Order: sequence, then structure tokens, then C-alpha cells
Amino acid sequence: MEYIVGLLCRSGSANPLFSTEDAIEANRFMKGIEAVAGDSRGVIGMANFIAQQIEALGAEVCYHKFLPHSKNFHPLKFFTSMTNDIAVQPNGTATNFGINTIGIVRAPRGDGKEAIVLVTPYNSQRVQSNELLSLALGFSVFSLLSQAAWLSKDVVWLSADSQFGEYAAVSAWLNQYHNPVFLSHSVVLHTKMYGANHIYDGNSEKTEVTAFKRAGTMAAALIFKVGETRRYSDRDSVMIYAEASNGQMPNLDLLNVVHYLAVHRQGFRVNIAAFSSLLSSAWLRVIAEILHTLGSVLRKINPDWKLDIAVPDYVEGTANLANSMYNQALGVPTGSHGAFRDYQVDAVSLEFSPTFHVKNENAKSLFLLRGGRLIEGVSRSVNNLLEKFHQSFFLYFLTAPSKFISVGVYMIPFALLLAPLPIVAAALADGSRSMEKTVDKLIDNGKADDIADILQSKGGSWKWLRAAKVLLVIQLWAVLVSLLPYYITQIPDATPMQSALIWAVLSIVVLISLSVLFGSPYSAGVEWKLLKATMITSISIGLGLMSIINFATAQLGALIVIPMCLFSRPLKASGMNFLPRAVLLASNIAFAVLGFPPAALLIMKGVSKGSWSWTIDVGDFWVWMEFLWEWSSATYLYLFLVHLPCWLLCILVLLHPCRQSESKMKQE
Amino acid sequence: MAIRYWQMAAAAVGFRLVLVLFGGDLHLASRPEVSTPLTSLRRLAEGYWLKQASVSPYSGSMYHGSPLLLSVLGPLTNSRPDGHHAHIYCSLIFVAVDFLAAMLIRATGHKLQMARNRSLKSLDLTKAVNDTVNVSAGDVASLIYLWNPWAIVTCVGSCTSPIENLMVVIMIYGACSRLAPLAAFGYVMATHLSLYPAILIVPVILLLGYGPDAPPPKVFLIKGSSASKSDESDNDKTTRQRVVQQFSWKPVLHFIFWLFIWSCHVLLLSSVILKKVGGLHEMFEKTYGFILTVKDLSPNIGVLWYFFAEVFDFFRNFFLIVFNMNIIFVVLPLAIRLKHRPCFLAFAYTAIVAILKSYPSAGDSALYLGLLGLFVNELAEMQFTFFLFFGYIGVSLLSPVMHNLWIWRGTGNANFYFATGLAYTCLQTVLLVESCAHRETRPSSLLPTCQAIYSSVAEPIKS
Repeated sequence: MEYIVGLLCRSGSANPLFSTEDAIEANRFMKGIEAVAGDSRGVIGMANFIAQQIEALGAEVCYHKFLPHSKNFHPLKFFTSMTNDIAVQPNGTATNFGINTIGIVRAPRGDGKEAIVLVTPYNSQRVQSNELLSLALGFSVFSLLSQAAWLSKDVVWLSADSQFGEYAAVSAWLNQYHNPVFLSHSVVLHTKMYGANHIYDGNSEKTEVTAFKRAGTMAAALIFKVGETRRYSDRDSVMIYAEASNGQMPNLDLLNVVHYLAVHRQGFRVNIAAFSSLLSSAWLRVIAEILHTLGSVLRKINPDWKLDIAVPDYVEGTANLANSMYNQALGVPTGSHGAFRDYQVDAVSLEFSPTFHVKNENAKSLFLLRGGRLIEGVSRSVNNLLEKFHQSFFLYFLTAPSKFISVGVYMIPFALLLAPLPIVAAALADGSRSMEKTVDKLIDNGKADDIADILQSKGGSWKWLRAAKVLLVIQLWAVLVSLLPYYITQIPDATPMQSALIWAVLSIVVLISLSVLFGSPYSAGVEWKLLKATMITSISIGLGLMSIINFATAQLGALIVIPMCLFSRPLKASGMNFLPRAVLLASNIAFAVLGFPPAALLIMKGVSKGSWSWTIDVGDFWVWMEFLWEWSSATYLYLFLVHLPCWLLCILVLLHPCRQSESKMKQE
Repeated sequence: MAIRYWQMAAAAVGFRLVLVLFGGDLHLASRPEVSTPLTSLRRLAEGYWLKQASVSPYSGSMYHGSPLLLSVLGPLTNSRPDGHHAHIYCSLIFVAVDFLAAMLIRATGHKLQMARNRSLKSLDLTKAVNDTVNVSAGDVASLIYLWNPWAIVTCVGSCTSPIENLMVVIMIYGACSRLAPLAAFGYVMATHLSLYPAILIVPVILLLGYGPDAPPPKVFLIKGSSASKSDESDNDKTTRQRVVQQFSWKPVLHFIFWLFIWSCHVLLLSSVILKKVGGLHEMFEKTYGFILTVKDLSPNIGVLWYFFAEVFDFFRNFFLIVFNMNIIFVVLPLAIRLKHRPCFLAFAYTAIVAILKSYPSAGDSALYLGLLGLFVNELAEMQFTFFLFFGYIGVSLLSPVMHNLWIWRGTGNANFYFATGLAYTCLQTVLLVESCAHRETRPSSLLPTCQAIYSSVAEPIKS
């Protein structure tokens, strides 16, 4: 891995070709587009201007029209990410549409099978100067690359119209890039976008521009934009966003290249997102101090143990790690790079935060020069690659832009958390078998006058089937509950509060009707130990699966679910001293409250706000869940297919009447 | 009881119909767990298209199934109604086929039950007979087959496995009820469709020769000798002699005769279908040859694809022989050990075939799990059932996720998917070993402990 990274960096750190002339070019472009943006033509004018500029460079150009993505309920989409969404909805007319402008440079030394993608998002409806600056930056890099003789991969520059959000624009383009749609003529005629035809006014070669153009397979993508100006910082900084949907990350090598070039070549300060509340929290600082002291003591004992992490480093690392885990666990991409990862393309978003005033031309040129060199360097590194990124890591958490925790490290605590589950399940299942053996002895001793009765109570090795039946019914319930929002969203004009209440009521109704249909869980006389064993087995399967789909979710979920499962014990169960029983009881109730998703969300919100005077708003839960399924996050499925059934089973165990076991004790 | 049974069976069929008619395209046909190169209906449609174009259906290594299926299902793959997925007519046929298979399994269960009761009676264990008539194993087995998620997925997922399964079930049913022509038909068709059921000739001949499963002959001998000490009328002795059956050659010869006739039929029909496009020789090469030489190394839930993708080319032939012999090796020992239980032997063979065949799918497992249900009374004390049950669930959930990780996300690799295949094979092996071991330690299953399993497994079908 290091070899590859070294190779990359060396290639990317050759003398940059991006010169002041390119910066001047960028300035010229910016002046031009500012004039157009001020014009009344808005969307079309800007796209047209960009296209003209690209054509002037001698590169290929095409437009891509798209409609805002309708937010649908498709919880399983993460699993079938390659489904063919038709890019343009085939019926109805739309006045509101976006236009991406795509420029393609064909590599003079390549075979056109691979491509590098550069993306600059801009909002065509509400143009801001920093977005124009990022367009100018993109254009200047593109114009440089269009003259480069060393290119071996095509370069695609996508200026994405982000009026419906960056992600929508990029994913619509990617979708059409990868899934060609062959619309019948009638559909094309029916889908009129008013005003779309104006775009071709200036161009004589109409058909050439309308056709969707493609380059080769995408090797990597770089999304960059210039953010708000920050005055208080001493250096220009770059924020890196990398989290794609469901905790997928781009290859670490790409991040390393960006970080190396930005810090060591162009002198940017590189940041990743952090939990700001943790950065200023006192208790984290106290922990850091303690660890630092311990570390320095250990270092005195053995100078090889470098455990004395500086306090600010520790605090910052923790805040970064928490944010990285949170973003991965949420399963929602942090930017338009997420759209690329759905097609297995490594992508990363860079947000530049310049420190100068926008009117300061000198500083702007300098910034354009450095930014351009960074992007050029990254493009060069990717250009020189012989293969797609595949060495290095895909599964990792970031603690700093240059530090990470790899899968080999973070799997260990998770495996340790998960390890007790099968053991406990086996012990519980075996425990209920050993009880039968005592009954067997009774029979052998000839005491059993009423063999049939005992046989009724004893189950053979298939006794767990009843518990499994309870589990399956609850899983069925969970599936139904997780599908309910699909129907609830059909209700027009429902507030989140109403929707959430309808959801809750319907869930309870479904639960009751299922228990009527299949019999109440206690009526069949399920032993609580077997119920618990079943629950633990199902949760270990669920967590194991989730750890593969989205590790961060599984890790955070395991912290709540595993103690909840292991501690669960019927409230009525006897055979314990007062103190341990009371402790167990208290922890049981605490976990039962914490484990209920809406309650957990409420508490989390309260904690993150820092104030305990929050109002109870059920609607928030609905909004949150809506957010998850709109982004087709697997976390939604985890919450409803793994966590919720487990919680319900825990409640069932807690409320277990324990009649049977007591009667058995009496028999003995 | 009967009413509940029919309700459940109807619900299972209804569930399948709902999935077929309203489920939309579930993309099940593209799952490697469901359809293999041998059973894929997409390939069949391709083969049919080739044949219509007067090209050999086997050209281009697309189709590897039987020409009979081509002419039966082929025309159905052509028509595509609006708003439904491509192979809806075939899927509807598969629903019917699955139902028929379940009914035959049920009938087989009843035959086995009758035979068992007869032998128990002859051992003067009428009390045991009365105790265990609570539930019929046939009902349980057919419900397991109907409600098995894998059977449902196979049925809905556009592959021809349900037909192969039906042929095996027909063979076992025919042998159990000693209908030699039916058994021969099932045997010939099953072998023609997927080759591996050929080893089932051993249990079929045993079934035809000895009759359905009975306690081992020595039990009768012991009983007979103890009875002969006490004075007993000759009349009783003769009835017992009749129960301890000798091998009767007549149905076996009958079976072999019909085997010959059906084989001729199948070969004749195939050669008629392939008259101008290829011929029988190409058919054998592209179907049996394809199965035995493991030419398609696309991933499936078995273990052979991975092995043959890794093995050096000059060892390939050697390992082909080894892997194919593996199945043959277990035939004889199992036959000797279980010769008084031919039906159970048939189950064991189907399980072994499902483990070791070159292109296994979930449909094969659905078949042997359904047959396992026939011995629900005897396996009441089987061990590791909890582990096996959740293992099967875990593996069947893990497998698509691993496949997704490898193929679509690109963050995993082939080892991930192969690991699930290995785990699955281990689970199947444990199931087979445990069921065989248990079947052996409790040959007579006279302990009425089966009640527990009645109350749990068969709870739904109790009235």
C-alpha cells in the first residue's frame, strides 16, 4: 500500500504546470460568467456560456437535462443500487428542470477506456460569487488539461446545476451515464421541458450537442467547490468530505493523495468534519488530560510506548472520529461524492475555504493558482494509475485527515462485543435441556405415574420451535411496520406529527391482530430462557449482517442492543438475592427505555442540545425516519428489522409470567 | 386437522400466486442462489430462440437443459403480458408443480405411516401405534415443502428446479406405493433433467423389493424367537413372517422393464426435437458433459466453482474425477447401513447430491428439507436443531449480502462469498450426519417422546 501511495505522490508532485496564465484565464472566465449570470436568462444562459467556453477549447461538450429526483420510499434500494431509474420521467411536462454541462477532453495518449471526473456544482437559480469562483477554477484546470499531451485518461468536467441539490444533479448524470435509456419517440415528445429548446439557439450543430456523450470507465472523481470566505483563519483551508451512502468510503489512497498534495505542496490546511460540541466539552478534555498523564508515566517506564497523546490532538481526534462514525452510521452521503460510490467510483469532495475578501484580485489569483495546482496534481496522480484504486483500505474511520482506524483494528472490539452472544445462547438452550434430564430421571425412577403430563411439559430437542415461532411472528410484525410508511406517505397533507401517530397506532393494531391470529406469545407456554436464547441468536445474526453492510451502525447499535439482550430477565423470575435482583431490574428497565428507538432519539437530541428542557415532539421521529428512507439508508432497515424486534422480545422476556418454570420447580 | 392442513396449503399456494402476479420483478432469476446455468429460465428462453432460428439450442454455451423442457416451456417464454415480469406463465406452471409435489410428498408420508403402523402392530406394540397417531408426518413434510422460503423463492424465481424436484418426488412416491411404471417415469425424467438422481436407483429398487421403511429385520427375529419360546399359535407366526418381507424380484423386474421403455421414449423425443439442430450426441455433451466437467465457474452456493477456478489446469482432470467419485463413494456404505429404510436412504442421497453437485441451488435444499419432514417422528430427539435452524437462516441472509459486497460494491472479494458457501456446506453436512446418526440410534422410535414434536412442529395442523 505504501508503495502505491509513494508512487502516486511522486507522480502527482512533479512540477505543476498550472501557471499564472491559467489563473488569468480563470479570471477572464469569471468575468464572463458574472456578466451572463447577471443577465435575465439564468439557467440557460450560464450553461450556454460554459458550453461555448468549452467548445472554444476544442473539447467536446454536451448538456444533460434532468428533473428533480422524487423522494420515494425505497428502503431496499441500497441493496440493488443498480436499478434503472429512468432519468427523465416519461410522462408529464415540467417547467422546472436542471441542466448539467459536460465537457470532455479525449486523452491524446489513451484509448478512451478510462476517465477522470471533475465536478463543480453551482446553483443556477441563485448565483453566488464563491460558486462562480469554483466554476472558474474548474474551467481553468479543464483548459489546462485540454492542452496536456501527457493525459492517458479522458477528463470529464461536469458543471452540475445544483438547484435541486448537488447530489440530485450528479446522481442524475451518473445514472444516465451508466444506464442508457432508450426512450421511445412518443415518450420523448410527451416529455417537454419548456424553455429547453432555447439552449440550442446559438448552436448550429444541434444534434451533436443534444446527444449524451460518454467517456470511459471512471477511475476517480473529484468534486470541488469554493465555500464561504473565512476571515479569522490564517491559511486557506480545505475541508474533505468522503462518506458515501451506508458508510462506504472511497479508497484511502485517494484521500492520502489529496491530503499530501494539499498540505505538503500547496500549503493548505486540511480539515475533516468534527462534532463541534465535543471540541469544547470539558469532560473530554479531562479524559484527555488523564490519558496524557498516564501515557507520559508509561513512556518513562518504556520509551518505546508512545502513548502520551497531546490533549488537543486527543480531543480533536475524538471529535473527528465521532463525526466520522456518526456520518457512516447514518448511511446518508455527506455530499455528491456519494453518488459516485454507488457506481463503485472512488470520489471525494473538497470544499475550499479561502481567507481573502472576494474583491481582492491579487489574493484571488494566488488562491486560484494553488487550488488549480492541487486539482491538477490529483488528476495527474489518478491519470498515472495503471489500475483502479484497489490496494489500501475501503473500510476505515477517519480520526484526522491523515490518520485512520482500519477495519482490522475496529473489528476487534466489535467481535469481542459479539462473542458472548452465541455462548449465552448455547448455555440457555442447553440449560432448558438439562431441566428435561431431571424429568427423565424422575421417569427412570418410576415415580412418574402420569407420564403423559410430564411429557407435555417436556419438549425434546425441538422445544425451541415455539420460541422460534414467536420470533418469526415478531419479525413479520417488524417487516409490516417498516413497510407502513409507504402507505402513510400516500396520505396528502399530513403533518409529521399526524403521520407518526398514525404509524404508531397502526403498528399496535398490527401487533394485536397478529397475536390474535397466531396466538399470544405466552399462551403456548414458551420458556423465557428459550425465548431469550432465540432472541440472542437472532440479534447476533442481525448484527453480523449489519456489520458487513454498514459497520458503524452495527457498532453503535451493538452498544445498546447487546447489554439489553444479555441483561434481560423476567421481572417475576425468582431465585436471586435482593441486591443483584434490584440492580438487574433497574438496568433492565433503563435498557428497555433506551432501546426504544423514538425514546433513544429523544434522549440523543436532548443530550446533543445540551439542555434538558426539550419538548416532546413525536413528529421529529417521523422526520428523521423520512430522512433515512429517502436516502435509502440501511440504518432504517436495521432499526426496524433488527433493533425493534429485539426490543419487543426483550419486553416479552421482561414481562414473562414464569408460570411453567415454577411448576417445574415444584415438581422437582 | 385436515381442515387446518388444507388452509395452510392453500395459503402457501396463494402466497406464491401473490408473489408471481403482484410481486413485480423481484430480480430473483439473477440470483446465483436461485438459478444455476442448468436451471435458469432465461437461458432456456435463449435456447428456445436459437432453436426457432434453426440453430442448435446448445450452441454458444447458453442452454444446458433438456430438449423436452425446451419444447414444453419454450413457447411460454416467448409471450410476455404487459405489466408482469417476463416468465409469468412459466411461474404459474411452477406453482402448480410445487403444489403437486407437495401432494405427492403427503401421499408418500401416508404410505410410510401405514407401513410403520403395520410393522408396529406385528410387533404387538399397538399402544405405541395409538400414541403416535396424533399427526401424520406426510402433512408436516408437505407443509414444510410448501412453506419453505427456499422452495417459494425457487418457485417464483424463474428456474426449472421445481420440475426436477417434482420428478424426484414422483419417483419416490411411485416406489413407495409400488407403482413400477410411475417410479420408472420419475427416475428416467429426473435423471434426464439433472443426472444426479441416477444414484437414487438404489433406494428405488430397495423400496420396490422390500417395501417402505420398517424396523430392521433383526428386531422381528428377536421378537420372533422370544415369541417362539412361549407357546403360540402357528397362525400368528405366519402373519409375522409375512411382515418380515423378503426381497421380491417381481416389481423390480417390472421397474427395469419400464425404465427401458421410458428411456427409449425420452431419447426418441429428444432426437425428434433436435432432429435438424444438433443431435443426441451434442445433447449429452452439453448437458451431462457440462454437469460433470464443471465448465461454468460463475459463483453459486456450492464449493466447486471456487475450487476449479483456483486449481492448476493440469490437475483439473484428476480433481474432476475425485469430486465426481465423491458422490459415488457414499452410495454403497449408506445403502448397506440403511437398507431397511429405503425412503430415508432416498432422503440421504438427495441431501448428498445437494451438497456435492456441481451447480447446487436453493431448490435442491428445498427438496431434501421437504423429504426430511417425512421422518419428523423419528428425528424428535435430533441434536443441534437450534443451531441448524438459525444457521440456515443466517447463511441464507448472509449469502446475498456477501454477493452484493463482492459484485456491486467492490469492497469485498470472492473469498467473502465462498465463505458463506463453505458455511452452508458445513451446515448441510451437520444436518445429514445428525439425522443419519439419530435415525440409527433409535431405529424403532418406539419411545413416545415424539409428542413434544407434535405439539410444536405440528401445532398449526392440529384441529
